Amino acid sequence: MPLNISSWFSPTTKACPICGRAGAPAASPIAIPIRHPEPRKILSSLCAPCRKAIPWISNPVCRICGRAERCEDCTRRQQRNYTVSRCAVRYDYLMKDWLALYKYRGNEGLESILAAMLAFAYERLCEYSPQSHSFAAITSVPLAPERLQDRGFNQAERLALQLSRWYGLSYRPMLLRLRHTEKQSLKTRRSRVVDMRGNFSAVSSELFSHSSTLPLSPAAPTAASTTPRIILVDDIYTTGSTLEECARVLRQSAIPEALPEIYGLLWARS
Amino acid sequence: MKVVLYAVKSGASQRALLSIALEVDKVFWSGKADRMIRLSELLPLGIAEEACNRLTEQWSKENEEKGGREARQDWMEDVKRVVRLLVGEGKEPACPTLWVEEVAIGSECSYDGDEEYLADRATHRHHEESLVKAARLAGILLAGRSLLREEAVQLLGDVMLAEHSADYLAALQFAALTGALQLTAAVAPKPSAPPLHGFRALAERLRPAQLLGLAAAPRRPDNLALYCRRCGSGHDKMRRTPCAACGQACAYCEACLTMGRSRQCGLLVIGVPQTGATSFFTNSQTLISTLAPSHAQTPSPTLVPAHASALSPAHTPGHAPTSSPTHAPAPTPENLSERWGLSPAQCQATITALQYLNNPHRNTSKPSKHSSTFLLWAVTGAGKTEMIFPLLEAVLTRGGRALLATPRRDVVLELAPRLAKALPNYSRTVLYGGSTDRWENGALTLATTHQLLRFQEAFDLVLIDELDAFPYHNDPMLHYAANKCRKKSGFTVLLSATPPLQLQRAVARRRLPCARVPVRYHRHPLPVPQRLAFPALNQWLRKQKLPNKLLKPLQRSIKRGAQVFLFVPYVRQVEPLVKLLRRYASILNIAPHAIDGTSSKDAERNDKVTFFRDHSLSLLVTTTILERGVTIPKSDVFILDAGNPLFDAASLVQMAGRAGRSSADPFGLVYFGAPVWTTSQRSSIQQIRSMNSLAKQQGYLQ
Repeated sequence: MPLNISSWFSPTTKACPICGRAGAPAASPIAIPIRHPEPRKILSSLCAPCRKAIPWISNPVCRICGRAERCEDCTRRQQRNYTVSRCAVRYDYLMKDWLALYKYRGNEGLESILAAMLAFAYERLCEYSPQSHSFAAITSVPLAPERLQDRGFNQAERLALQLSRWYGLSYRPMLLRLRHTEKQSLKTRRSRVVDMRGNFSAVSSELFSHSSTLPLSPAAPTAASTTPRIILVDDIYTTGSTLEECARVLRQSAIPEALPEIYGLLWARS
Repeated sequence: MKVVLYAVKSGASQRALLSIALEVDKVFWSGKADRMIRLSELLPLGIAEEACNRLTEQWSKENEEKGGREARQDWMEDVKRVVRLLVGEGKEPACPTLWVEEVAIGSECSYDGDEEYLADRATHRHHEESLVKAARLAGILLAGRSLLREEAVQLLGDVMLAEHSADYLAALQFAALTGALQLTAAVAPKPSAPPLHGFRALAERLRPAQLLGLAAAPRRPDNLALYCRRCGSGHDKMRRTPCAACGQACAYCEACLTMGRSRQCGLLVIGVPQTGATSFFTNSQTLISTLAPSHAQTPSPTLVPAHASALSPAHTPGHAPTSSPTHAPAPTPENLSERWGLSPAQCQATITALQYLNNPHRNTSKPSKHSSTFLLWAVTGAGKTEMIFPLLEAVLTRGGRALLATPRRDVVLELAPRLAKALPNYSRTVLYGGSTDRWENGALTLATTHQLLRFQEAFDLVLIDELDAFPYHNDPMLHYAANKCRKKSGFTVLLSATPPLQLQRAVARRRLPCARVPVRYHRHPLPVPQRLAFPALNQWLRKQKLPNKLLKPLQRSIKRGAQVFLFVPYVRQVEPLVKLLRRYASILNIAPHAIDGTSSKDAERNDKVTFFRDHSLSLLVTTTILERGVTIPKSDVFILDAGNPLFDAASLVQMAGRAGRSSADPFGLVYFGAPVWTTSQRSSIQQIRSMNSLAKQQGYLQ
């Protein structure tokens, strides 16, 4: 074997965590549209082609659900329980692959990357409502226990936890999934909305009561802070029925004086 | 998943076990054991297995010391202590409370002798019988496999009939109790390394810590040394994540993730009879002999009506060997060449290989790690596939199982019909990602390399094609898999035109038996590459000008009517070079659309190769992706930037092997075009020359 002495002095190149190719750090730095240093660092471990291929939604056309094109669902909808939602990327074929790698193959090495991508959506959400740097809590859409046993992890919970660590939010499990539904991706729009009813329940109403010491309840009820803001994390937004139902359950179980505003935070928008 | 840890006691001896379906164990041990205790909490599989091992070790040691006279009274305490130790290892607060409870052995029906009881007993007996049948079938179907729980359940679900109880875990557990299967954690602590020999042992003994008496602990902490039982990857491929299925931070293997996730609390079903399973309770042996899939016994037709072909070959009537191996006619060059159409060189090598299969330890000077491995070193275009057939047949006629592993899926698909034609009397299984006969147990298995992970000690002969090609090369996981799927008494035959240096060295030191085929089937020497010294490719691509030293030979090749391979090192060079060559099309005297390029990133690659085959392309620019497997009758090869480090000696030999493959045009031309003359170029030419001179010596050349 020939001694390759020059390699001793060259920078070490790590394999890209997604495609596995030993990608040299990108020659022309591709901008990472995130401010927080840690997600930036994580995303910069991707090889240049992978990083370039991420379809960020930097300018959401729909101001409500954060879709990159005009969204008929949001204009059609009469009543909405969540305030707005923001999504990090468009759900194209590549993103589908990435999510499948993580969610179904169980490649948990991708977790931090997906979380870093979600950080983009979080920062967009902060931009949307700049006065509210005080999100009271972050929570996630739960999985049914059987599904959780099979998969070994709840992807939304993991992403939310990671995010809460970076941005100093407090993560609280607030929802339970009661029923084990078929895979969402196999159903029609109509049946999704109908099926979603009664799927979730709030963990305990104590979270929202006056007596609890959580920041959720307005400890000093000034006019500004009467509405606690809660972030709800999920992986994909397709019709918004999951998000809507979760938001409905959360608001229902809250006490009327401190009706929370629910903000959706999603990794991808299909 | 979580399992039950329990222990049984019979007379003086006691044994710890784990169960994925405790009801089955109660039935199994009724009448065989006196007492049974279980841990009330479910334990993660990995921890339960480790606890079992420690308890069994401890108890057997104590048993020996006491001469087996008195039974231990405090076995419940033992169980608690060991589990507490194991659970506490990972976390700060040790496991708070553990409860051990007594279990009533036998199925729970305690009515008195009324009719209800009798009816109940009848259904119970029926239930037990169907369980025994299902377990036996599971033992047969899973023999020689190593599957994750989901895969095993899927297999049983696909193949078993509905009547054999839908509870597959119960069937698996019963089969495991009888010793036909092993149920283990997929990721487990690595068994301690065998004692060192020679220099390393000396070095270990002279370690300063050893000399000072400080080296009580092994060098590496034990909890780091996890490994994947399925793919053999060590702890550097493990990732520890919190797991909702077992509630612990449990490790999974990243190396074999594409074949399903193997993790510490995940069940791996290994279809290899347990060693020492029968040594505990003698009265269970009768049961084992009736349950274990013995080869003498044919499963009753009622058990497996539709899936006879899925069973191992010895059971299937059509495969019964007509003559015992000792009476098989000894292979001679005449009958080999007659039966398979082999050339003299091929015959000679095949006979050497067959002799090795019949009588392995004659030619090697000393046993080594290659002890049951044979290398068939055949030059490019020697006709390796034809030489495989006699080897496969030799094993199959003895009633053995054979495996042919190839690196790529398209090779599998191409070989399958050829094998069907050559060996029509044997059941075949074709395995690749997404193939339909996933769970068949054919006598002859044709698979892509990754599929080997799903087998363990299944094959008598493992043939590995192109072992230096992409997936094997530098992948310890696939080497582990190839070793694992061979029976202990089986053989591996490696096929290659360019074996890696390490194997070449082993051959030279006579550690690895080897047969060489130094000549192509048409009995002409291999074309020796010629050198063209011209500037680097990027330089003249930038100038948009072909060097004259390249243009002239290209013109000559086209004039003689040959099709031309142009190999370049990088994918990004393909497109510009095609454009440049098209501008020269009129000078080269071919149509511009007859020039094209392809690479690994090209979606239309298969189409372009087909066009090249049927002469609608006459000049193909390509990367190393086409260095193997493409045969064009009349072709010349140009390797541009042959000095590039991406082209090692093996791939240069392979690329040069694209020329002169047919007997109609045995003297194709090969050119190495490069500004520099490198070691790999030199050694590739040396390899080709040495093979040619060997052929000449042995008189194979026409």
